[in-house]
Amino acid sequence: MALFRGRERKTAAQIFTASMADIVFLLLVFFILTYKVEVDRTKMNLPDTWIRIKVPEKAAVVSIAPPDSDPPLVIRVSTGEEMALPVSTDEEVVTFASTEVARNPNKEFIIKADDSVPYERVDAVLDALKQSKVKYIFLLSDQKTVDE
Amino acid sequence: MRIKKKKNVPSEIFTGSMADISFLLIIYFMITSAFSATRGLDFALPEDTQTPEIKQEDSIDVHVMRGGVIEVDQKGIPIEGLLPYVAQKLKQNPDKPVILRTDPDATYGDMILVFDELRQAPDKIDMEIKTISIPTRREIENLWSMLGIQ
Repeated sequence: MALFRGRERKTAAQIFTASMADIVFLLLVFFILTYKVEVDRTKMNLPDTWIRIKVPEKAAVVSIAPPDSDPPLVIRVSTGEEMALPVSTDEEVVTFASTEVARNPNKEFIIKADDSVPYERVDAVLDALKQSKVKYIFLLSDQKTVDE
Repeated sequence: MRIKKKKNVPSEIFTGSMADISFLLIIYFMITSAFSATRGLDFALPEDTQTPEIKQEDSIDVHVMRGGVIEVDQKGIPIEGLLPYVAQKLKQNPDKPVILRTDPDATYGDMILVFDELRQAPDKIDMEIKTISIPTRREIENLWSMLGIQ
């Protein structure tokens, strides 16, 4: 019996890290596959809708910043491939949209606006797009849920 | 003189820093990737050649005012009553277009709420609204000046 009563060997506590590399690679593959460059990063509260149709990739974006942002109600435009740039007048939106339509007559446009934006601003953008002979417009929205 | 045999060093790729690089890349992707909104309401604008002229009396006039108040054909109506009213009109004429006008001082959210409601017609009233027109202020003013209304 005495043989077994000797000092017990202390096993050092350790965290098993061998699978960490696998997890990291899995995450890396996930992020690489789902990675999308957001052309307009203006933070806004989009209106909620029940009907939501997938917007085409590479569609041009016209965003209208919320009234409480700094500067307020600024309009930014993007071709869908480059980062959005601010424009100062509605005529610049017409010029931008006309250029895009000249390149591709079926180019889709996304209007991204905060739900608190006065409709006057949205109307001006819509008018600019209509003047530029844009055919397809998407109004970006969030999913409406039952409790709303 | 005895020449020493060179020790054979096995060739190998150094992978010790791979985990560091992977972590760095993960952090980069986590920070820069965004789960952006990629859905919304769509509408197609009519082409010049096929634009039908819509007369106000031949259409259902939906007017969104400040605070989300809705007037349909000059009558105040709650949002829940909009589609039943439209259904009534569509039964008389299934091709009746809907004109959605919004006051400049109403919000974009007010307009979207009504537009979304109209788009739900196939689900809620089992009828399709063939044309929903969203005229801009300039177009309405042009029409008014053509009709001689100030």
